[in-house]
Amino acid sequence: MWRSVLAGTAICVAALPAGAAEHPIHMAGSSYTPATVEARVGDTLVFTNDDGDAHNVFVPTVAFSTDLGKQDPGKSTRLILTQPGTFEVECVFHQHMTARVNVSP
Amino acid sequence: MRSPVLTGAAGLVLVAAGYASAGPERVAFPNGYDTAWIKYTVVERPDRKIVRNMYVNPEAHAKAKAGEPIPDGTVLIMEDMKVKLDASGNPELGSTGRFVPTGEVIAIFVMEKRHGWGEAVPADERNGDWDYSSFAPDGIVRPNLNTSGCFACHMSRSGERDFTFTYAKVLLDQGKR
Repeated sequence: MWRSVLAGTAICVAALPAGAAEHPIHMAGSSYTPATVEARVGDTLVFTNDDGDAHNVFVPTVAFSTDLGKQDPGKSTRLILTQPGTFEVECVFHQHMTARVNVSP
Repeated sequence: MRSPVLTGAAGLVLVAAGYASAGPERVAFPNGYDTAWIKYTVVERPDRKIVRNMYVNPEAHAKAKAGEPIPDGTVLIMEDMKVKLDASGNPELGSTGRFVPTGEVIAIFVMEKRHGWGEAVPADERNGDWDYSSFAPDGIVRPNLNTSGCFACHMSRSGERDFTFTYAKVLLDQGKR
């Protein structure tokens, strides 16, 4: 699983644990880039909406499912990965926007 | 249901302006869903400090998990429930790393599929034969309810997802569709 931290106007960012990494994911062109992320437990995904339209980070995968809500242009959201496994990310507004995250222990 | 299957962005977004013939009045409150129905997934919503418990009626699920299309008579529930907060006001994490529900329900969203229901909805806004409603925890329909936002948001999951954000996806991931 992960711990999600909303960013943007109200950002709550904890210091990364030793050895943890941040993985930026962009939304320009209505695509998650990169579309596949290899991460480890303790890492953080940072989703930045650098597109002109509102997007979203929605995870439909059972046991990982979360919804970070509408993300307007210029805003960022964060997910701290707390459990190994693989999950998918979708934009609620744009069905074609997808990404896959593989989390190793 | 953000979701259900429905959620904020991925949920039953309720806004102003509905449909004359369609409408929440034909979607009944599903008494006993929380004890007798199947909770097929839980969606965390950190910005709202809630979880969204997703249920399906067992009769429909029996057909869907056998590989049939999501059948006539399917009812999906999205139950919004508060979660425990830490001293800083952030959601606590349980031993599995997930939010810890308090048991306090704050809203219940329902989407129901009945043959012919879609005919009452304008073609360009129709979600197949689905219709939507929203209830307070006591089962009373929310006042001045309008479900046009539900139709608009769920439109993004037409096709193989059958206008659902989570249910059809769970079936697909389980190889049931």
